[in-house]
Amino acid sequence: MTISRRTLLGTGAALGLLTACGSNTGRDGGGSGGEGPRLSHWYHQYGEAGTEQAVKRYAAAYDKADVRVQWRPGNYDEQTAAALLTASGPDVFEVNGPTLDQIRGGQVVDLTDLLDGVKDDFNPVVLAPKTHEGRIWAVPQVVDMQVLYYRKSLLADAGLKPPGTLDELVDAAKELTTKKTKGLFLGNDGGAGVLGGTPLYAAGLSLVTDDGEVGFDDPAAARALAKVRELYAAKSLLLGAPSDWSDPSAFVQELTAMQWSGLWALPAVRKAFGDDFGVLPFPADGPDGRPAVPVGAYGAAVSARTKHEQAAKEYVKWLWVDRTDHQRDFALSYGFHIPARRSLAAKADPLTEGPAADAVRYSTEHGYAEPLLWTPASRTAYQDALSRVIKSGANPERELRSVVRKVSAELSRVQKRSS
Amino acid sequence: MHDAWVRVGRALRLALLIALALLFLIPFYLLVRNGLSAEADITSPDWTFFPSTLHFSNISELFEDSTVPMARSLLNSAVIAVLTTAGTLLLASLAGYGLARIPYRHADHVFHAILATMMVPAAVTFVPSFVLVSSLGWISTLRGLIVPTLFSAFACFVFRQYFLGFPRELEDAARVDGLGYWRTYWRVVVPNARPVFAAVGTIVFIGAWNSFLWPLVIGQDRDAWTVQVALASFTTSQVIRLHELFVAAAVSIVPLLVVFLFFQRWIVAGVERSGIDD
Amino acid sequence: MRARGAGSGRAGRAEAGRPRGPAGRAGTGRAPRTGPGPGARAPLARRLAGPQNRNLWFWVFVGPFALGLLVFTYVPLGWSVYLSFFDAHNTVSPTEFVGLDNYTAMLKDEAFTDSLWTFAVFTAFIVPTTFALSLSLALMVNRLRRAQAFFRSVFFLPAACSYVVAALIWKMSLFNGVRFGLANTVLGWFGADQTAWLSTTDPPWYWLVIVTVRLWLQAGFYMVLFLAGLQRIPPVLYEAAAVDGARPGWQVLRHITLPQLRATSVAVVLLLVINAFQAFDEFYNLLSDARGYPPYARPPLVYLYYTALGQGQNLGLGSAGAVLLALVIAVVTIGQARWLGLGRADEKGA
Repeated sequence: MTISRRTLLGTGAALGLLTACGSNTGRDGGGSGGEGPRLSHWYHQYGEAGTEQAVKRYAAAYDKADVRVQWRPGNYDEQTAAALLTASGPDVFEVNGPTLDQIRGGQVVDLTDLLDGVKDDFNPVVLAPKTHEGRIWAVPQVVDMQVLYYRKSLLADAGLKPPGTLDELVDAAKELTTKKTKGLFLGNDGGAGVLGGTPLYAAGLSLVTDDGEVGFDDPAAARALAKVRELYAAKSLLLGAPSDWSDPSAFVQELTAMQWSGLWALPAVRKAFGDDFGVLPFPADGPDGRPAVPVGAYGAAVSARTKHEQAAKEYVKWLWVDRTDHQRDFALSYGFHIPARRSLAAKADPLTEGPAADAVRYSTEHGYAEPLLWTPASRTAYQDALSRVIKSGANPERELRSVVRKVSAELSRVQKRSS
Repeated sequence: MHDAWVRVGRALRLALLIALALLFLIPFYLLVRNGLSAEADITSPDWTFFPSTLHFSNISELFEDSTVPMARSLLNSAVIAVLTTAGTLLLASLAGYGLARIPYRHADHVFHAILATMMVPAAVTFVPSFVLVSSLGWISTLRGLIVPTLFSAFACFVFRQYFLGFPRELEDAARVDGLGYWRTYWRVVVPNARPVFAAVGTIVFIGAWNSFLWPLVIGQDRDAWTVQVALASFTTSQVIRLHELFVAAAVSIVPLLVVFLFFQRWIVAGVERSGIDD
Repeated sequence: MRARGAGSGRAGRAEAGRPRGPAGRAGTGRAPRTGPGPGARAPLARRLAGPQNRNLWFWVFVGPFALGLLVFTYVPLGWSVYLSFFDAHNTVSPTEFVGLDNYTAMLKDEAFTDSLWTFAVFTAFIVPTTFALSLSLALMVNRLRRAQAFFRSVFFLPAACSYVVAALIWKMSLFNGVRFGLANTVLGWFGADQTAWLSTTDPPWYWLVIVTVRLWLQAGFYMVLFLAGLQRIPPVLYEAAAVDGARPGWQVLRHITLPQLRATSVAVVLLLVINAFQAFDEFYNLLSDARGYPPYARPPLVYLYYTALGQGQNLGLGSAGAVLLALVIAVVTIGQARWLGLGRADEKGA
């Protein structure tokens, strides 16, 4: 009997250990130690050094609640989507949305009143996708934008001027491609992911029209996408780099002469090349075309499952509405972002000169944000088609026809449910 | 004549084996090469087989990097893998023995119900499992990371097959001595079944150590990260530091390789005698 | 995901893959012992406990495991099936019953049916390839007189690597698309251009990457299974063959070794097939990026992952697809087990 008793004791000990460890729920989260309820605040993993320390510093400075910051690596969107189904998810979280279905499903809290009196100070382009039927569901943190980086010297050596049309971009990429360096980097998937609707906007179209219809049921769409395919077919695109479009490494390592990336990468690029680079919007295509610059914003949202809704809202208001000093620090100290508040953006010195100033100007003149009605299902259908057009040379008209069909169905699903 | 051909054949076979072995070792070589290089050596357009200077400092740099809790995540992985292995072995071997040796009218139904779960892709049950674990309040706890993964139908199946082939004489002798099922199991069966415990244990240990998605979603607090999650944090950040990524990957597999090499002969013996393949 | 499935390492895979073939055999072998005992007419408590408390002991041994499986597998499984009949966007407690709509939508969804077809083709390729490689390795290693343990370790070692680590080596170093990748460096020595292995769809080089990583990770594990099988073949069979004048090599392999390995081979094939259909980890780690997953080489599980767990979070549709996939796997596995099993019966009968 001795063996079995010992085993039983061992089992009991193991269970005890489990129970003991079970209550271990992280004390490193930059807890503010503030009075009041404990709030957990999720961020996705930023690549810019210092961001994590910064957000923990802000959380620590808040004294009305004990804010625990969680820094989430991996697939942030999937993780938050799953966590929002449960009460053990975050109280406050940043979100590249929220999506229409999250709003409809009552997963996030209405934050309209937090912006009372200052609503007009927020950049309207990025506030629009956070707004549904007049209510606001997330407070924009900073404006992210994407631009085309190019090396001035490389273009000059090749006798090229900065491309002003999509055709010129195709030609320039071809000219700049050499044995060791490619002309252009649009991400490792050839642009299907990061470009999204940008070529459509450059052709004078849109993803979803103001009255909720498909915005690219037009021959110009196929024409623009065919030109992106040309970039790929001519082998001018860098593909399979170790890091993706969001990281300026490929550009800095001179694997490519031009790269599509975020404004956040600008400090790293300037550090590598000094004045030898410039930024451009995605160039216009066709007679109705206009340059296009995608802008977007992570927003701070409050989970509807939080047990401390009022405290969470107060904290969001404190951080992303009242504390303009934190907002400024967050936007400008760790890679460049445009402050979401127009009054702050106007005073942001680092953004008033050189390429950064150009970028800010593009964002106000040519900025577009993906509309709220552009749901993940639509995005997947469109991205799949775009990938097939770019990489496999699929017929753009035929691919777009099937996308238009799927997107119309999705649009009628979400608009039917709202009425 | 004949002998000469046999010898040539043997030499060719050996040459082929050596070539294949080298191919199989390339990934390990890359792991070490990149892990001990300076960033510029990795991305240099001119390939070097070995970096001019080996940067062992990459290893200490990795453990000092405050943005990734490498030491903590290694510890978590070790604790989780050990407890998961122990728990799985205990539960699955008991169940396997019961199914193999204790006559019960519905034993076949129970066994089929267990087997059937092996055909269900985890994606089917992922979200409900997550919600279930979360409603138990087990998010970011060791319980949440371990308990739901303890019930391995595969392990149970292997144990059952093994015990079916276990020599009855030993148990009969125990019976004669007046031992019941429980004491027979602990005194006679377990001590004589070490290879199969080692084989299943190693496979479970590797699975637990390498498991990624469940710990990613359950281990929300940084303190609950496993080493795979920590690794992912290198690949998903916007700026990728290749040397750090590779040295982290190398560090993450060292404990496994040790376990693996140490238990290898047991695995082979266990496989041979357990009928995993039968 | 769980240690049992897609998100785990090899154990998860191996585990996911056990067929039910042997169950039937073993079950019938034991049936005579399990008939109703003398306790059948005794009082209820006695009857429930069974003769010599056997029923009680059965549940003492099997109960904890069965209970855990019930709670952590069957409950979520039932919940998923329930969700598949509802419009469940961003919720696990849906209210809008839609009948079979999710199933018809999934079956009409080209992306899903394409992924099933792609994986049928993938399975048809990877199963024989892995089988052949691991069997060849086993045969070669088995005949070594020296350094057998060394070679076995070398081929077996990759089985300890996680898919995350392997994918990282393949994607970032071996087969990256730029000039400092190993494959491109080697090509460069012969003056060829650099190739974007994972991004080129014409020709589909990404399959080369996927297949090699899978072979590297899995061949060693199946090699060990074959080695064990080889070592169980009685030497007397080979001696008899030599006496009969069979030439060593092909004839012996064809007439002695392969038939003797039949049971092992059946198990390996079944494991490989299920693993191919449940492929997730290496595909996800090699091909996904922050913006999603490309429309090629997309396994059904990856597609369902994005449908159900992505920001779209259409849990009803995702569950319906997962149930369909589980049915496909069950039909293929059972069909195969029957087919292979019948083959064996015929052989014995002949």
